[in-house]
Amino acid sequence: MQSKMITVVLSVAVLFAFLTLLPDLQAVRLQGNDEGYAPEQPIDFSHRLHAGELQVDCRYCHYNAEHGKLAGVPAASICMNCHRFVSAPFGAVRAEDKLATDENRDARPVVSAEIAKIYTALGLDSTATPDLSRTMDPIEWTRIHILPDYAAFDHSVHITAGVDCATCHGDVATMERLRQAETLSMGWCVNCHRDANETGIAGRQVNAPDDCSACHY
Amino acid sequence: MQEQDTALSRRDFLAISGFSVAAAGLMTGCMRPPEEMVIPYLEQSPEMQPGQAFWYSTVCRACPAGCGALVKVRDGRPIKLEGNPDHPLSRGGLCAVGQASLLGLYDEMRFNNPLLHGKRVNWAELDAQISKSLDNLAASSGTVRVMSGSVNSPTEHTAIARFLSRFVDGKHIEYDPAPASAIPAAYEITHGIRILPQYRFDRAKVIVSFGADFLGTWISPVEFTAEYSARRDPEAPEEFSWHGQYETVLSPTGARADKRLALKPSEQIAALAYLARQFGEAGIPAPSLTNELRHEMDALAHRLEKHRGESLVVCGLQDLDTQQAVSAINHHLGNEEQTVLLSSPSNQRRGNDHALAGLIEEMKAGSVDALFILEANPVYDLPDSELFAGLLQQVPLTVALTERSNETTEHMQMVAALSHPLESWSDSEPVNGLAAIQQPCIRPLGNTRSAATSFTSWNHENSSDHDLVRDRWRTMIYPASANGESFDSFWTQCLQNGYAPIRDESTSYPPWHGVRSTSQSSERKGLELVLYSKTALPEGRHSSNPMLLELPDPISKISWDNYACLPEQEARRFGVHEGDYVHLKVKGRILTLPVHIQPGQAAGTVAVALGYGRDISARFRETGPRWLEDDVNTGPNGLVGVNAAPLLELRDGLIVTHRSSVTVKIAGGHTDLAKTQEYDWLDVPEKLTPPDGGHRDLLVEGTLGDYRHDPQHFVPHPHMEGDDLWPEDHPYYGHHWGLAIDLGKCTGCSACVVSCQLENNVPVVGKDEVRRNRELHWLRIDRYYRKNNSSDTTASFQPVMCQQCDNAPCETVCPVLATVHSDEGLNQQVYNRCVGTRYCANNCPYKMRRFNWFNYPRGTEKERLALNPDVTVRSRGIMEKCTFCVQRIQEGKQRAKRENRPLRDGEIKPACQQSCSAGAIVFGDMNDPNSEIARLISSGRSYKMLEELNVRPSVHYLAAVRNSDSTGKEVHHG
Repeated sequence: MQSKMITVVLSVAVLFAFLTLLPDLQAVRLQGNDEGYAPEQPIDFSHRLHAGELQVDCRYCHYNAEHGKLAGVPAASICMNCHRFVSAPFGAVRAEDKLATDENRDARPVVSAEIAKIYTALGLDSTATPDLSRTMDPIEWTRIHILPDYAAFDHSVHITAGVDCATCHGDVATMERLRQAETLSMGWCVNCHRDANETGIAGRQVNAPDDCSACHY
Repeated sequence: MQEQDTALSRRDFLAISGFSVAAAGLMTGCMRPPEEMVIPYLEQSPEMQPGQAFWYSTVCRACPAGCGALVKVRDGRPIKLEGNPDHPLSRGGLCAVGQASLLGLYDEMRFNNPLLHGKRVNWAELDAQISKSLDNLAASSGTVRVMSGSVNSPTEHTAIARFLSRFVDGKHIEYDPAPASAIPAAYEITHGIRILPQYRFDRAKVIVSFGADFLGTWISPVEFTAEYSARRDPEAPEEFSWHGQYETVLSPTGARADKRLALKPSEQIAALAYLARQFGEAGIPAPSLTNELRHEMDALAHRLEKHRGESLVVCGLQDLDTQQAVSAINHHLGNEEQTVLLSSPSNQRRGNDHALAGLIEEMKAGSVDALFILEANPVYDLPDSELFAGLLQQVPLTVALTERSNETTEHMQMVAALSHPLESWSDSEPVNGLAAIQQPCIRPLGNTRSAATSFTSWNHENSSDHDLVRDRWRTMIYPASANGESFDSFWTQCLQNGYAPIRDESTSYPPWHGVRSTSQSSERKGLELVLYSKTALPEGRHSSNPMLLELPDPISKISWDNYACLPEQEARRFGVHEGDYVHLKVKGRILTLPVHIQPGQAAGTVAVALGYGRDISARFRETGPRWLEDDVNTGPNGLVGVNAAPLLELRDGLIVTHRSSVTVKIAGGHTDLAKTQEYDWLDVPEKLTPPDGGHRDLLVEGTLGDYRHDPQHFVPHPHMEGDDLWPEDHPYYGHHWGLAIDLGKCTGCSACVVSCQLENNVPVVGKDEVRRNRELHWLRIDRYYRKNNSSDTTASFQPVMCQQCDNAPCETVCPVLATVHSDEGLNQQVYNRCVGTRYCANNCPYKMRRFNWFNYPRGTEKERLALNPDVTVRSRGIMEKCTFCVQRIQEGKQRAKRENRPLRDGEIKPACQQSCSAGAIVFGDMNDPNSEIARLISSGRSYKMLEELNVRPSVHYLAAVRNSDSTGKEVHHG
């Protein structure tokens, strides 16, 4: 008797849980699958602007991807290659120039709020010169692409083989805030490896290993 | 019945709990793992690429042999030491001790601060205190002494000499815990100059060693092994050498000898005196020999006579007359400047026990005003520790320069915390004519300083160790070594190469002065004692290293202990068995140790290893898993092993390592020694002997005569019957990885075991687990004793790792496909699939699979920095085994892909091959017909272990060859 009752109660509970979770059902994924993860970052960096509009090559900033396992988040000094000179949107700089001409004075440096964070991290003042009274403070980004434990991955060989960055990272050039585009699951990796062995990459034959020890050691 | 209605049935219970688990799983499925942060560099230097390893050349400082090392630095931290293949002495090898010295860098027990009377102070306070006392001493012509182990760094010598030059009476005294000081003392008499010659084993066609374990522990084993094995390859163009070993305890060197004779120290002394007289040295009194030994020595003299100028006689005994006899033999044979280089002597052992005895006398007289002890531990190392500790109390100023606490620092007023060699600049000149730079790979982790910096700052000078080394190289090495380039480019070049050859220092070749017998031919009575060094733990300095304590001794295969080695007849005479405690008594000193019955040891002797029983080893009491039945790793004294140094004797200015008139008494009590191998001989027990022979062919060994007679049929190959169980459906189109191991070259030194352990994050499991056969080493070295007619017991070594069978028995039994075969012939172990059934280990004929019974502790967060980030750290319940260093294979393949070229043969070296100083291990692609491994496996010596099982291992062994005549025996073929 009691067992039947328990079953009924549990079934109702399941139904209730299902209904409550319904709006969030898209969030129900297998453990470890973080597809769509797009956390807030300390700097509102736009890949759409840099990679899309300005057409900066991925490997300009993530240059380590060509040489080793990790692509890595670029060092702040890489940002400064451009942002030493580009400190704010062009419009804002023009407006200050105009104002300065009108007021008959030298233009003041304009630093946008987001770029100012890089300057602060590097201990620079608003003219991008080192200010010894400031301390250097590295930027802590939230990691998005986290490979499952026990798996090894090397960026450089994939780039050498001709795999496009977008194959795994999605169309980053359209993303205002970076989002994980793929599941990064083992099945997803292996499918791509098998397909690549049959079809090749960019018309070139490749040798994509499908042994366990290609990734697990 | 009624009760059953109201209670929950088992079925319902399971249903509900199953539901709850599923619900919990569903909920966690929605949850994200904890947020992870990425913190990039603010400014990234080209040498800081995340995840990329960089290699820096440096010098190994684990002993004074001065081997060249390469340090693998990943993400700013050193994670592996390897031999530098370009280094002219060590030639790419690095011994177990050198490999394991990496752990010392991250050791939590290191001093992080200077100490003043046991209290932490900063350097300014310590320097002020020391400088004040020293200034007074300099003004009042005080006596200042610096005591250290052998220092082969010229920069450190210069710094110490400059420091001492301030004082009217300043002296630097060096001594070695594993002494060889009788050799320079003998050369002082026979050649008028106190030098340790440089020995060249690669030039000797006949090598004769009396008690010198030159492949294991004596002076510079890595260098000597590399030289020795160059002449131990029957396929090489060099003439195969003949090696005779006359020793007391079976050493790894004796195990590999072509002729071995177990002799007591007194017999060795007599034999060498007789030999010297045979070669016309009349200055040595005639010894009394048994007829048998005289016969042997006549044969030996005959053999040496035939190889004048291309033979080498060495001796490890601390006996002045005997070393003079050795010097005389080499002189009369014309070996000087051929195999015994006197014009470019060695700095690898600089100990002068005469000076040491002088220092003790001075301290007794109370005439030493300041004593600085640099990285030495005399209270532990010297025979009379209480005496020395008491004398230290009477010295007004005592300063220890050391990395971690030891028996001596307890009695010192001040401690100047020393940096690890991977944190500081220095240099080395192991032999005259070769200099090398020791460069740091990480900033000091604590508030520590190098020795040179400390001595310089106490001299009121301010120079960093970098400036001191660079200045010395600019003034001394550069003029004698460079070829016209600027100093900056010379310096950079030397840093890259790791060494610089120095042009002829015009040290003239000292003339022969003749022997002067001190003739203390003390009649040797009773049982004789030999205090020897173990390959895994040559001196007490390394007793704080868990890997070295767990490393089984190459011969006894016992880890975590030292013991009294007794030959079988002696054990029977005293009525003791393996593991029984005995009291050893020499002149009032008593040591209590367990017994180990050692085959191949000379009758009438007992032997004990030095270097154990350090106070610091108490830290290992709780190493390994903590569980109910736990037995501690330490002995009754609370330490690992027993210190045998009290049985040494400082006699006539020599630390003597052999004693006579020893008594052995049963102490009562028994312990199980942690032995990793329980089958010592390859003979099949009588009741199991098949009709056609009683010898297992796991390890094949033969004579050079037989090999020369018919190289292609040197090794028996079993006859295979029936069809293959596995169809030929798994061809290897690409690579097919394999290993070839030359058993003739393997000396059992175990460098590969430690190298593998560090590379693959293999934990230390503790003595109790080793006793339960649960050691986790992925590579074991089997040692089999063997007896043959012409010589005493020898032994052969066989490194065994996963054989990566093509028809792997482990793979067919795994229920979850956690062990599967790769396209390149690798037997893959997938940790995240493994559920720990252990079926695979059960089905492995080689017993080379290892199971994680526990989550073995891996030290503190700092100590875990030594782990290799490229290899998974396995958790409890996981099976693991040798992977052929698949992470290195992948790295090599990825490098080749990146550079768009095919893989080169020899480009990928597993950790075991890299560290092998004998070059006994070769890894490669068996599908490549031009590879080194293809050449080796087509040799007539090549065979596979247990080939008859048809598991088709990828590991090939090359049968060992010993230099003796053909046996005329036909090799058995199935």
